[in-house]
Amino acid sequence: MIRLAAWLLERFLRPEVSDTVIGDLIEQRARGTFWILRQTMSALWNLHARRRPGDNLVMTFLADLRIAARLLRRSPAFTAVSVLTLGLAIGATTAIYSVIEPVLLRTLPYPSPERLVFVWERDRDGGRDNVGYLTFRDFVNESKTIESAAAIGSWQPTLSGENAERVTGDRVSWSYFKTLGVKPEIGRDFTPDEDVPFANNGVVILSHGLWERRFGADRGIVGRTISVNDNPYTVVGVMPASFDNVVSPTAQIWRPLGYASQPYTCRTCHHLRMIARIHASASMTAAATEIDNIHQRMEKAFPDQYASVGALTVPVQDEMTRAVRPALLALAAAVILVLLIAVANVVNLQLARAVRRQDEFSIRVALGAGRSRLFGQLLTEGLLLAALGGVAGLIVARVSLPILVSKLPPSLPRLAAIHVSGFALAAVSGIVLVLAVVMGLVPARSPSGDLGIGLRSGRRLIGRRNHALRVSLVIGEIALAMLLLVSAGLVSRSLIRLLSVDIGFDAQHLLTLEINSVGKRYNSNESVWAYHDRVRGAIRALPGVADVAVANQLPLGGNLDMYGVLDPDNLPSNPEMTPSADRYAVSEGYFKTMRIPVIRGRSFTATEHADTNQRLAMVSQGLADKLWPGVDPVGKRIRLGGVKGVDRRVIGVAGNVKHRGLDATTGMQWYVPERQWFSDNQEVLIVRTTVDPASLASPVRTAVSAIDATQPVVNIATMDRVISMSTAQRRLALVLFAAFAVAALLLAVAGIYGVLAGSVAERTSEIGVRSALGATPRDIIGLVVGQGGRLAAIGIGLGLLGSIAATRYLHSLLFNISPNDPVTLGGVAALLACVTLAACWIPARRAARVDPSRALRSE
Amino acid sequence: MLGELEQVVLLAVLRVGKDAYGVPVHDEIQRRAGRDLTLGTIYKTLTRLEDKGLVSSRIGEPTAQRGGRRTRCYAVTNAGKRSLQATFKTLRTMAAGLDVGLEPS
Repeated sequence: MIRLAAWLLERFLRPEVSDTVIGDLIEQRARGTFWILRQTMSALWNLHARRRPGDNLVMTFLADLRIAARLLRRSPAFTAVSVLTLGLAIGATTAIYSVIEPVLLRTLPYPSPERLVFVWERDRDGGRDNVGYLTFRDFVNESKTIESAAAIGSWQPTLSGENAERVTGDRVSWSYFKTLGVKPEIGRDFTPDEDVPFANNGVVILSHGLWERRFGADRGIVGRTISVNDNPYTVVGVMPASFDNVVSPTAQIWRPLGYASQPYTCRTCHHLRMIARIHASASMTAAATEIDNIHQRMEKAFPDQYASVGALTVPVQDEMTRAVRPALLALAAAVILVLLIAVANVVNLQLARAVRRQDEFSIRVALGAGRSRLFGQLLTEGLLLAALGGVAGLIVARVSLPILVSKLPPSLPRLAAIHVSGFALAAVSGIVLVLAVVMGLVPARSPSGDLGIGLRSGRRLIGRRNHALRVSLVIGEIALAMLLLVSAGLVSRSLIRLLSVDIGFDAQHLLTLEINSVGKRYNSNESVWAYHDRVRGAIRALPGVADVAVANQLPLGGNLDMYGVLDPDNLPSNPEMTPSADRYAVSEGYFKTMRIPVIRGRSFTATEHADTNQRLAMVSQGLADKLWPGVDPVGKRIRLGGVKGVDRRVIGVAGNVKHRGLDATTGMQWYVPERQWFSDNQEVLIVRTTVDPASLASPVRTAVSAIDATQPVVNIATMDRVISMSTAQRRLALVLFAAFAVAALLLAVAGIYGVLAGSVAERTSEIGVRSALGATPRDIIGLVVGQGGRLAAIGIGLGLLGSIAATRYLHSLLFNISPNDPVTLGGVAALLACVTLAACWIPARRAARVDPSRALRSE
Repeated sequence: MLGELEQVVLLAVLRVGKDAYGVPVHDEIQRRAGRDLTLGTIYKTLTRLEDKGLVSSRIGEPTAQRGGRRTRCYAVTNAGKRSLQATFKTLRTMAAGLDVGLEPS
């Protein structure tokens, strides 16, 4: 400490001064670090060389800084408002850009990331579809531009043993990590001979997180056998902590795909994602063309197995961010608007202060201060204010970013990489610098105009230019606030419409959870079904439970389990062109528990549910309309699962449910009794309660575990929660937009209030003359409110034009609403008009109370 | 007329007598007036007083205790003493006859 003090003092003080002080400090060093620190700061502050002609810039700057600091301390309200405004705006901007930078902008953390692509089949409607294994194999075998490729299938294994746990993983080609260009930290990568069907001893690679959490970061784990789905798997490797898996952000464990023979090696089962690394020697366009050509050859060779037309080659970087990019960009634009409004407001405050400080500047000029000195002083003040705002902003960003990240969808790539980043910091520094110059420059214009007048006339000078600038700033603020309010309004009306969509079932009083039946004791269909029956029986016996059912998937639960559906009496030439619909293999009581209406025919009886030999089905209204438009489907035959599927008899039609999301358009589902399909080892348990469903979470979990403690119970949630999760991204966008819009509104109101209050103060004598000449308080109020009203009207008009031009970029966040929705535009305009007029009211009242005799006497 | 800080520092230098540099002056003021001034403030005041010719300073010898740094010891000049007298006289005159507890009883 003492050394640092000596270094600082020697550096900034003249040697004859520093010597004595340092001597004193060394002599008294026993008084402690804090004492030394205080003395050093005080000595630096008090004893640095006084400003004299020929003094260097640093000293002048320090002196200016002291004056600026003193001035800011003397007007705490101004300082607090400015710093807070800047801090919130800079903080919000930094936070949003800290999210955008890793998610959208930073390149992928792999070697030559620009050569990594996803390969999709292209649907007739331009959409993208997964590939089947044979399609993948043909791409790899025939392409000359693909250097390495891998297929990825999802895998959700249960880690058996104590604390059985279900984890998210992937089944991948042996070349998966090689294609990405990453290597395990411990152990080795998969080998080609491990990627074969029914390999005797399965192998897995663990993520760093799973290794630490479940295996205590034991380096000896490699080579050991762990129990996965009750089968032995040898751990061959552990990925490094730095492995940032953008392809499957939540995957924690990998095993080789092990396909290459039936039943999963097909062209029509689209359940694999494909990544490829393009050869360094090939251009990306050439590769895309080649892959597309290969696919078209496959279509010709197997005309009844493809409905897709060509292949799409999409850079991994683009693909990963496709879903979130529009929302993030809209938010980025919104936060920039908030920043602009905040800057406008602070500049406005500075201008108002500059007017009040006219006398000070005049006196300083009269005493011989040059223009550059005044400018330097103002610049320093701006810099200090901006720096304080920047620090406040950094604090705001540090506090708000973790909250923001926790609200982002976990499937977003690179969430872990989000922190207050250097890029955002640099951006903030840049903003701060520009702010400093702007805040210094703008008020500097008024004193530099005609410095003598202020002193000569002995009265406050109303800078005309200054006033015009303040007025335009306020108009700009109102217009930008309007834009933000319209955006927030549109997003919120979309969400309201989305949440009032008919989902096709009754979501209230539903508790849902996923139950598992993995391991040797569940090797037969019968054992799984018996387990489901036991679980249902135990849950139904719980108090507060009205109904209970088991199904393979849950509407809005994020599952995707679709099968092609055919009318066997009307087979198309290419069976791949038939519609796909959501598969629901359900237990007894499903329709009653979900309260899905049966529109025609009937649902399955208890006897039919128990009968494994019958082949019955129900279809949703949407599927019935698609297959048999205008015809009663009850009694028709339906073939599920492609051309080779089994024909079933339709006994009833159920109402459509929203499966993929609240904004999904189609409602095509089919239902079979679970005993008339193959069993799944992961199912959804749905419980209809008579009490608050959340209160049953714990008893239900206990009851399920009591039946088989080795099976993990996961994703226990009320249906309301499941639905709100499915709208999480929109909700987040809404919350942010609303926060930005409210901030913008407050700032704009503060801005218009400030301008009018300033203008009333400057025009006190004029108002006095008006009252003396017979103007009533009403006239005066009308005068001020009229002035404010004009500003508001221009601002709202500009905001309206801006909204019409800009809101179409919000389309991905909108639902069932036009970007130029007249109700929203009109409502926001009315709101802004009311609020701004209210802000005019206080200055107007003050103006009306001006006592003419007093106003004129002060002349 | 001396400022308050100048009076306090001048009086402290007089009280310390020989070897009146930053630390003893600081301690004297703290002991008597209960004010914890910083060395920076004290040296700044002393420099100002020296500029006005109210104190003089001499450079002391460097000691090991001070890490080889020298002291700067101050003494009140005659002009300084006169200035104090004038200040106190002014205060007394101004306070005379006022019943606000300023007159020495």
